Amino acid sequence: MSVWKINTAPGRNMTWFLSWFLFASGITLYVYTAHKRHVENPDDKVVPTLRQLTGGFYNAAFKPEADDEAGAGLWQRVRGSMLWHDTMASGRRFLISFALLFPAAVLGLHIGVFPYVGAFFMRFILFFDKIIALSVLPILFIAFGIDELSKIMLIVIGVTPTIILDACNLSKGVPKEQIVKGFTLGAGNFDIAYLVMLKQIFPRILNSIRINLKSVALFLFAGEMIASDDGLAYRIALLRRHMGMDTIIPYVLWVALLLFLVDLTMRFLNRRLHPWFREI
Amino acid sequence: MLRFDAVSVRYPFGNTYREVLEHIDLEIDPGEFVTVIGQTGSGKTTLLRLALGQELPARGRVFMDGNEIREPDRHRGYVPQKYSLFPDKTVLDNITFGLEVQSFSLLGRVTPAFFRARKRFRAEAMQQLLRMGLRKEDASKYPDELSGGMQQRVAIAQALITRPRIVLMDEAFSALDPNTRAGMQDLLLELWRLTGMTILFVTHNISEAVYLGTRVVALSKEYEPEQDRQRGSRVVLDMQMPNSPGRHFKQSAEFARLVNYVEEAMEPPRAAGPMAAAV
Repeated sequence: MSVWKINTAPGRNMTWFLSWFLFASGITLYVYTAHKRHVENPDDKVVPTLRQLTGGFYNAAFKPEADDEAGAGLWQRVRGSMLWHDTMASGRRFLISFALLFPAAVLGLHIGVFPYVGAFFMRFILFFDKIIALSVLPILFIAFGIDELSKIMLIVIGVTPTIILDACNLSKGVPKEQIVKGFTLGAGNFDIAYLVMLKQIFPRILNSIRINLKSVALFLFAGEMIASDDGLAYRIALLRRHMGMDTIIPYVLWVALLLFLVDLTMRFLNRRLHPWFREI
Repeated sequence: MLRFDAVSVRYPFGNTYREVLEHIDLEIDPGEFVTVIGQTGSGKTTLLRLALGQELPARGRVFMDGNEIREPDRHRGYVPQKYSLFPDKTVLDNITFGLEVQSFSLLGRVTPAFFRARKRFRAEAMQQLLRMGLRKEDASKYPDELSGGMQQRVAIAQALITRPRIVLMDEAFSALDPNTRAGMQDLLLELWRLTGMTILFVTHNISEAVYLGTRVVALSKEYEPEQDRQRGSRVVLDMQMPNSPGRHFKQSAEFARLVNYVEEAMEPPRAAGPMAAAV
């Protein structure tokens, strides 16, 4: 058996087979379960069949053709759909929070680079980092209202301390030689901070943000499930009451796909923007 | 030009201190090529860090042209052993970096004047690059695409282009294989003769120190038997070397004699005992 050998790798076909095996068996198992349950009870709602799932996805992604706008094209039907509406609402919150991670990274850089800034912020952020963001949700609702701002603040409180601390650590990891070299070449303090340090750690910051995308999505979903009247998580929470699994499962996969695409885009951009960076 | 005035350095060690350098007096004149040698832990890198201003002495002062050194600045160039180049910048951008930051502030970098000046900087950097024996097509490479020797060539070009008063080199060739190292030594000597610059070169390799330097300074720790503790390093040897010897010098008997002499000077005094006292 060469399975438990460190120095033996599977061939091309074997790799292909092994890497898709769990997907295939998962789908098979699901289809089998759905079939069995529907034989026992044709009205089963817990495990919808593939046909019901595609139907559910179609209904969510395309607005039903109304009589008064019979001529509505496919595009208008997509734009009027529930899925589009929810995706836009969640996407907006996601992007605003995502954009706020960059200033956080820059703050982290300053904490790492300038000892005075570090002395001012470090202790507080270490403390702040330990606060469970969801536990202050009631306070957030009181302070920022129950609409958009409190949800974005939940994400900011939940994710930015990690990004700040990570950016700080990354900037401290830059070899001292680089800073000294910069000064001996006549660079000023901000030249060093931005042209030497930030430029050098930026691909790592992007990676750190990529890893934390899931936390962003997690806090977004928590916020939407608790207090919202639109968004992807709101829909999942709503449909859960009606056991609408035929819509929930497509939604779950859709969210996974979106996150995957954001991650892929960031990875691609990172590689494109930083050809010198070899650790992607 | 660069002057160490009764400099001592010590680091906290447990609840006492460990002396690293003890009462170092040293003056380096313009045009000198001073090599500093010492064993591991003899404080030669500390000496270089003092000259840079990366570290401040516990006692005594370090002066550059009469001004006390407080932090690294553009008067003293620096070529470390590792991490000498900015990994995110191409070879050419590494070399122009010094020219750019000296002429333009961070905000000035977005003005049209900056882009005009950059053309000039790039031309100058390219000249420097070719002088250092690199090819034109190396200019757009990133540092990690170059061999160690090539990287150090770029690092020297980068340090020299801003015309510092003195170049401080910390084991700059120690990570290179012997052939590359010999080539780099000759290149450095040639540059030094051509430009008349001042160099302070730290190394643990005695023959490198003897070959390169017009003056060799050796640091060594002294052992004080009655207190049974390690004291800081002092200058145990400070000697002028034969002038501009050339490559064949390495094979000569005089070279071997000099290396031997320096090696003996660096030996710490024998641990005390009745025998040593009698001698």
